Amino acid sequence: MARPMGPLRLKKTSPLTVVVGVALCIFILYFLIGSSAPDFSPSRKAAAASHPLSPPTSPFRKSSASGGKKPKPPPVTHYNLNNVTITPNPIENRENVLILTPMARFYQGYWDNLLKLSYPHELITLGFILPKNKEGNAATTELQKQITKTQKYSLEKDRFKSIIILRQDFEPPLSSQDEGERHKMQNQKARRSAMAKARNSLLFTTLGPATSWVLWLDGDIIETPPTLIQDLAMHDKPLITPNCFQRFYNPQKKAMDERPYDFNNWVDSPQAKELASKMGPDDILLEGYADMATYRLLMAKVFDEKSDRHEEIPLDGVGGTALLVKADVHRDGAMFPPFPFYHLIETEGFAKMARRLGWQATGLPNYKVYHYNE
Amino acid sequence: MLPFTSSSGSKAVPRHHVSGYSNGYPRGNTFEISPHRFQPRGTTPALRRRKRLLVRLGIAVATVTLFGLFVWPRSSIFSLFSFSLLSTGDDFQLETVRYYDLSNVQGTARGWEREERILLCVPLRDAEPHLPMFFSHLRNFTYPHHLIDLAFLVSDSKDRTLEVLTNNLEAIQADEDDTKPYGEISIIEKDFGQKVNQDVESRHGFEAQASRRKLMAQARNWLLSAALRPSHSWVYWRDVDVETAPFTILEDLMRHNKDVIVPNVWRPLPDWLGGEQPYDLNSWQESETALALADTLDEDAVIVEGYAEYATWRPHLAYLRDPYGDPDMEMEIDGVGGVSILAKAKVFRHGVHFPAFSFEKHAETEGFGKMARRMQFSVVGLPHYTIWHMYEPSVDDIKHMEAMEQERLAREQEERDKAEKAKKLKESFGDATSQWEKDKSEMHNIVSQDKKTGSGDVAPKEKANAEPAQPAPGKAAADQAAVEKPIANKPSAENPAAKKLAEKEKVEASAKFVQKETKKEDRKI
Repeated sequence: MARPMGPLRLKKTSPLTVVVGVALCIFILYFLIGSSAPDFSPSRKAAAASHPLSPPTSPFRKSSASGGKKPKPPPVTHYNLNNVTITPNPIENRENVLILTPMARFYQGYWDNLLKLSYPHELITLGFILPKNKEGNAATTELQKQITKTQKYSLEKDRFKSIIILRQDFEPPLSSQDEGERHKMQNQKARRSAMAKARNSLLFTTLGPATSWVLWLDGDIIETPPTLIQDLAMHDKPLITPNCFQRFYNPQKKAMDERPYDFNNWVDSPQAKELASKMGPDDILLEGYADMATYRLLMAKVFDEKSDRHEEIPLDGVGGTALLVKADVHRDGAMFPPFPFYHLIETEGFAKMARRLGWQATGLPNYKVYHYNE
Repeated sequence: MLPFTSSSGSKAVPRHHVSGYSNGYPRGNTFEISPHRFQPRGTTPALRRRKRLLVRLGIAVATVTLFGLFVWPRSSIFSLFSFSLLSTGDDFQLETVRYYDLSNVQGTARGWEREERILLCVPLRDAEPHLPMFFSHLRNFTYPHHLIDLAFLVSDSKDRTLEVLTNNLEAIQADEDDTKPYGEISIIEKDFGQKVNQDVESRHGFEAQASRRKLMAQARNWLLSAALRPSHSWVYWRDVDVETAPFTILEDLMRHNKDVIVPNVWRPLPDWLGGEQPYDLNSWQESETALALADTLDEDAVIVEGYAEYATWRPHLAYLRDPYGDPDMEMEIDGVGGVSILAKAKVFRHGVHFPAFSFEKHAETEGFGKMARRMQFSVVGLPHYTIWHMYEPSVDDIKHMEAMEQERLAREQEERDKAEKAKKLKESFGDATSQWEKDKSEMHNIVSQDKKTGSGDVAPKEKANAEPAQPAPGKAAADQAAVEKPIANKPSAENPAAKKLAEKEKVEASAKFVQKETKKEDRKI
């Protein structure tokens, strides 16, 4: 105590301490007054719904905990669907895109690719449906972790307009998601029927009154051009799908190579029609199985490296790996039949149903997206 | 810094140098006033340099941040500091992520206890006159209102449907009573460019049916896809022109715990048409005849029920009604009518919708029933649980009613004339009558025993008095003519003319009734 306190205090008020102190103060104040997450800009806030009971394609105002007051009943909301445009210039017209993904496993590549999409994220709503089993739970956890990271802690321009996660209300028919097991012919009908139900559940509960385009993107698509949405919308087609490929290591060439993956994009053939006419009402035609030769023209095989990337071909059946659909097609009722519809099921049946409603599917054989390789 | 190389000019001089004092301080600058300057013990030059670096770094970061604020005024860094600190009055946060488990919204028999949400869908077109009636129903539903979400589709309307609808709904939502306001309310506007008129006649003409039904289906699908949410357990479709239905209808239908369920729909009729009639003929069971017929039709054909062109011989829910039957009795059906459908939301989630194309030769609600059956959902009708659709007179009915009205007026006029004539007669010959009476009594006195002359002359007078009283029974007879019961005996015995008239009415009306039975064209199909 013999020593005076003066010099000691002088030592503590060094500029570094001041800076650290101020920073801490701001930090504490921020956490006291502010929220745990950085907030949205006023324009995004203004566009949000005022009540939690609202279309899931838009964010809503969290009820501020204002002391025990009863929540007000939801307002009467008008939606004029005559004003929802669907045009070849979706960005210019600020058109909302709904990206729907039935997901069984979470791939980081899928999420990273999604973040890279150059379409304005404040116009993109994501919808996921995951099965309620062990694998689904794991995927959900992974997905939620990534969502939190993006929606709470990243820059506002990276954050999506809104995200919907659904859990399926029925058991997936197969316990194994392994590629070999999944593609066995006898398992196909049950598997694709369940898949169709999952797609429909996701679609009809999330479509809402503001969506212009629906992009079906499978959870195992890990690489697309960042301009995917604009590129596909540019064609102004009711249903349009790129060609789905898969990268793999080719042991013969001793180098990375790629091969066609999605065989559900096809043009019908007389042989397939004849096969179908001989079938019972509950049988389905499948593509890519040796004992059912359909001789359909497969888009996967049409790919030509030298041709124009935006070359179009009309299709009779589509696969769902990546598929851009005008929302009107779904609103008219085109869905993924979980039952044999003209001997077709799921996405192929969807193309047929859309056709019955007067909408024609189109394929881009030279525009590639890539599937995960397991 | 080596001591030997340093010259005497250097400030930092080793302690034990010859040129220093014995206490170790350098001798260099003798005139230094304060040689005993305080040197903090802890700070070495390296530490000081690090400190300076940190300060500089801090300044740099601050500058970059400030610069960033100028360049991107709306970036998240800005909102990080300024929003939460400055604009605390604007205290709401956005929630962008929603999580739903669909296995929680399967729909059960006692949904109101489990807080299950219902989506009530109402397609509207030029429906302004029916709205007051509809809202009287809406206010009285016994199912907890906050669990019901309302969705309306207003399409191609030329009247004030939208304004009236909005005003009524806003009144309900602002109601003081907590039990009145509903859940989410969406009014969706979409014009499909209606090619078919909505008046009863053109609506029910056979040729127009297929395309009309497809358009209706399209409208229903647009409404559903815009309004269905992952939180819904049930979907209830209700037409706006239902006149009478139990307030408990939601619970009554839900209790059966079926995937799709419809009540029986009848309509009241004016007495001269029979008093009541089955209305919704779209709820039926499939028949072999109809299936065979379907095979002969081309891909886009649509079988519509209730037209002579397609004789399907299907058992209709509507015709099986027994007014005293058990209202809980169920009947499996294949096609459903759209007046009042309660379905589990999972039916729609799994993809069943109202086909706007020919699905197994059916469209709209009938196609909906067919598709639900195709996907192994249970589709059930309640033959003895009846709700009543409004009666809108068809053009024929209106013509007939006009004719009846004219006839009635003519008859009344005739009767009035007759009565007047009688009165006039009475008045003009009033004195004469009394005189005659006097004379008569005198004559009676004179010719005391002759009775036959008196009775013959009194008759005309009695008839004249009876005439004014006659219209009432005559009219009643005409009104009741079409009832199955034979005409009341009262009026006919006295007056053969009235009887004849009533009989003519009856024949006409029953002919009309027969026509209705066979054509059924004015019904909503």
